[in-house]
Amino acid sequence: MRIEKAMLVFRKDWHEIRRNWQVVLPIIVVPLMISVFLPVILGVIPNFATSQGDSSSGFEALIENLPNHVLEQLASMTEMQVMLYVIAVYFFAPFFLIIPLMASSVIASDSFAGEKERKTIEALLATPISDGELFLGKMLVSFIPSMAITVVSFAVYTIVFDVISYGIFNSILLLPTIDWILLIFGLAPTVALASIGLTVMISARVKGFREAQQISVVLLIPVLALVFGQVTGAIVFGPVVILALIGLFGLVDFAVFRAGVKLFNREEILTKLA
Amino acid sequence: MGVIFLTPIVEAKGLTKAFGSHIAVDNLSFTVEEGEVFGLLGPNGAGKTTTIRMLACLIAPSEGAARVSGYNIAENPLDVRQTVGILTENPSLYERLSAQENMDFFAEAYNLSEPKEKISRIKELLEFFDLWERRNDKVATFSKGMKQKLAIARALVHKPPVLFLDEPTAGLDPESAKEVRDLMEMLSRREKHTILLCTHHLEDAEKLCNRVMIINKGKNMVVGTPDELRNRIIGKPTVRINLRKFDPKIVEATKKVSHVQQVEFNESTSNLTIILDDASIGTPEVVKSIVDAGGQILAVYAVRPSLEEVYLKMVKGER
Repeated sequence: MRIEKAMLVFRKDWHEIRRNWQVVLPIIVVPLMISVFLPVILGVIPNFATSQGDSSSGFEALIENLPNHVLEQLASMTEMQVMLYVIAVYFFAPFFLIIPLMASSVIASDSFAGEKERKTIEALLATPISDGELFLGKMLVSFIPSMAITVVSFAVYTIVFDVISYGIFNSILLLPTIDWILLIFGLAPTVALASIGLTVMISARVKGFREAQQISVVLLIPVLALVFGQVTGAIVFGPVVILALIGLFGLVDFAVFRAGVKLFNREEILTKLA
Repeated sequence: MGVIFLTPIVEAKGLTKAFGSHIAVDNLSFTVEEGEVFGLLGPNGAGKTTTIRMLACLIAPSEGAARVSGYNIAENPLDVRQTVGILTENPSLYERLSAQENMDFFAEAYNLSEPKEKISRIKELLEFFDLWERRNDKVATFSKGMKQKLAIARALVHKPPVLFLDEPTAGLDPESAKEVRDLMEMLSRREKHTILLCTHHLEDAEKLCNRVMIINKGKNMVVGTPDELRNRIIGKPTVRINLRKFDPKIVEATKKVSHVQQVEFNESTSNLTIILDDASIGTPEVVKSIVDAGGQILAVYAVRPSLEEVYLKMVKGER
């Protein structure tokens, strides 16, 4: 496999995508909402909640399931500090698995289906770029921008929460933690790759972009389950859980890529032109 | 066209493609020699595009085999694709990218990565196709004719020994079609590409092709040079002579010429239509006999059926 050919496909697609605001705008807006607006709104809740004398605000289940060493830390904090800590460090963590998925979903759905719709696919398939190189290139064009936006969102999120918490925690910065580093640089990419690989496979098999996107929405379900699990306290993203998930999704990525290349069929793509 | 070709660069043997129960290409066998312009002529749905797609390793044949530039299409698809330049049915251009960006991408995709060589080849082609001044404009702003020229330039970017051109003048206005046709004619002369031209435009085939294969319903109806195909339906060469004044003596004198097989005359138009067994020897002798008989000749025409007549006869005959 020649990586430079996959990068060539990536560069070509990226040149096209960056000029299409219909694609670029949702990629930027959704992460911005998660990394700036939601933390600001939820960062205000502890103040409001404690002033109302209601310290729970629905986080008891999550707090009860936190590891003992974290609970010991929380014991020495004020109610407001506890809530801010739980929101910043635990509550939002799984949402950052959704960012790369949402950001990549539009591009990955468009990868082959869009080329079919715009009738550019035949010339691309006629080039001496191998199946693996084409498939990888199409994955990279979804993966690289979505991970870039995830890392930027994480940086913004960290700054927003550190600004909010700086005074409340007596000049201690809450983020980043080792869990967050593992989540952003380990789990988010592996989850994103699995989802992107499957979406690109779907995109190669359907007639158009909309069909690909509708089907690929199903891929959000397992990640939404993780989000739900964390929010309800059923799963807590500690280092061990995150590392286990990285390993699991790494295997899934490998299997998806192998299957994607094996099932890549130029004839099937051409005969399903929109 | 009097050119001798020696090496087959495209060889198809029993090429067949079935889509379910529909047989799109049925047992096609043909060769295209190096430097030849070979036309695949047929109506829509005849199997031309499917044939090109099989030869370009885009779809796999159901049966049969083919070699392109010495590579087996089933065993060496990447090598085949590297040696082939293809103009697909649609221009297949990235409309949000500029002409230059399109050319850059395809140059590198076809392994023309050395920057100096790539830049000079792209400049050469864009200048040849009169697109250099618009190189930085998005393809979306181009006319149909310009897009088609850019698509042909793209197919040529890696100097492929074999070019597959699928309906290069389809959908173009007559002026653009002529421009594209003239450019292809210049190209085949200048760069000596072997060209497999799919078309249902007889003018393209007539003007550009050394040999033509007429296909219908996926089957090879007939193959040969345009002249051979004409002769096949006309049978014998025919000459029409326009006289200043009709005289029965002239008809009698003409009938006595050794290579003349049949003479018809039309008094109202003063035209003689003469069927010969050999036009190159018989025509001057007929002219001499008319002049000797006191006739005054205004014009001499070789009556040749157009390729269109051959095509219609073949295709309609099949129906």
